[in-house]
Amino acid sequence: MAEKVLLVDDEKEFVEGLAERMELRGMNVDTCTNPEKALDMVNGDSYDAIILDLQMPGVDGIEVLKHIKKSNPDMQVILLSGHATVEKGIEAMKLGAMDFVEKPADINVLTEKIKKAQARKMILVEKKAEDKMKDIIGKKGW
Amino acid sequence: MGSSDTVQGRDGLCFFGKVSATISHDVKNVLAIINEEGGLLQDLSLMAGQGMELDPERLVKLAEKIQNQVKRGDTIIKNMNKFAHSVDVAECEVDFYEMTSLMIALFTRMASAKCVTVILKEGERVTGKCDPFSAEMLIARCLEVSMDSAGKNHEISVEVFTKNSERVISVHGLRLEVAENDLDAIKALSNNAGASVSVAPQESLLEIIF
Repeated sequence: MAEKVLLVDDEKEFVEGLAERMELRGMNVDTCTNPEKALDMVNGDSYDAIILDLQMPGVDGIEVLKHIKKSNPDMQVILLSGHATVEKGIEAMKLGAMDFVEKPADINVLTEKIKKAQARKMILVEKKAEDKMKDIIGKKGW
Repeated sequence: MGSSDTVQGRDGLCFFGKVSATISHDVKNVLAIINEEGGLLQDLSLMAGQGMELDPERLVKLAEKIQNQVKRGDTIIKNMNKFAHSVDVAECEVDFYEMTSLMIALFTRMASAKCVTVILKEGERVTGKCDPFSAEMLIARCLEVSMDSAGKNHEISVEVFTKNSERVISVHGLRLEVAENDLDAIKALSNNAGASVSVAPQESLLEIIF
């Protein structure tokens, strides 16, 4: 199944180039250069992974990550950064980011991480469905 | 070196580090775009090798995008080089218009992060003697303070001119009061740079006078 990915970065040309390469690798990619609009997109669609730039105008990527994880705790977020510091990386992982990739990104490494994100999300969704089923069975007393 | 000199030296190093970090981030962004466009060329070449038809116009556009990023990167590196050489001498003849233009260019990322538009009005050479690095530190701090005072989604305009044999850099567009500690920092920097600064948010104005 094609991975559904949201790519968020304020550099339009970067987003366009990377999105096209990801699509050539069979992924279904939405792009966004406005972090505030990205939050609406996250809430309005179901993504396997979000690739999020850490530094965008007006908004800190960490803040966007917090908002995403608050409304969608299972969402798999991979952070991108031009200059990743260890502290930022640790902070992002503590907040629930799945991984951290430094720019310029290796498309093969990024693709692997997206596949892992999709697998992780599927496990979480299946687990939730299983828990729900158990809950229903428990309540009905079948 | 006395304790006061040490503090100034540390502040100077911090400023140099801040500008260098911004430049490295900008260069990384340029490299990231070139990486994607180059990667796309490679992908398309591999697909063409497998028999897919390749549109020459597509290749021309990709090559243009790469060339534009190389130009962008070159401008960033040239600005970095100009800035790096500003510590070469303690005093020399400078063009304040060019210096202001350089600081605005180096702080574009900061302006973008604060969602403030900075406009440099057309002007002519305004020359005078000063310590280039100290003057740049002062201009940069004044720009930062002005951006904060203007606030998100607002604009500041900068003008460089000569008035009564004094060199003036004026910033219009301030809206909010400037914090006391920022005013103190500007005062200390203006002393180092041999300049004076007047801040009048009620008139939306900050002026640096050399």
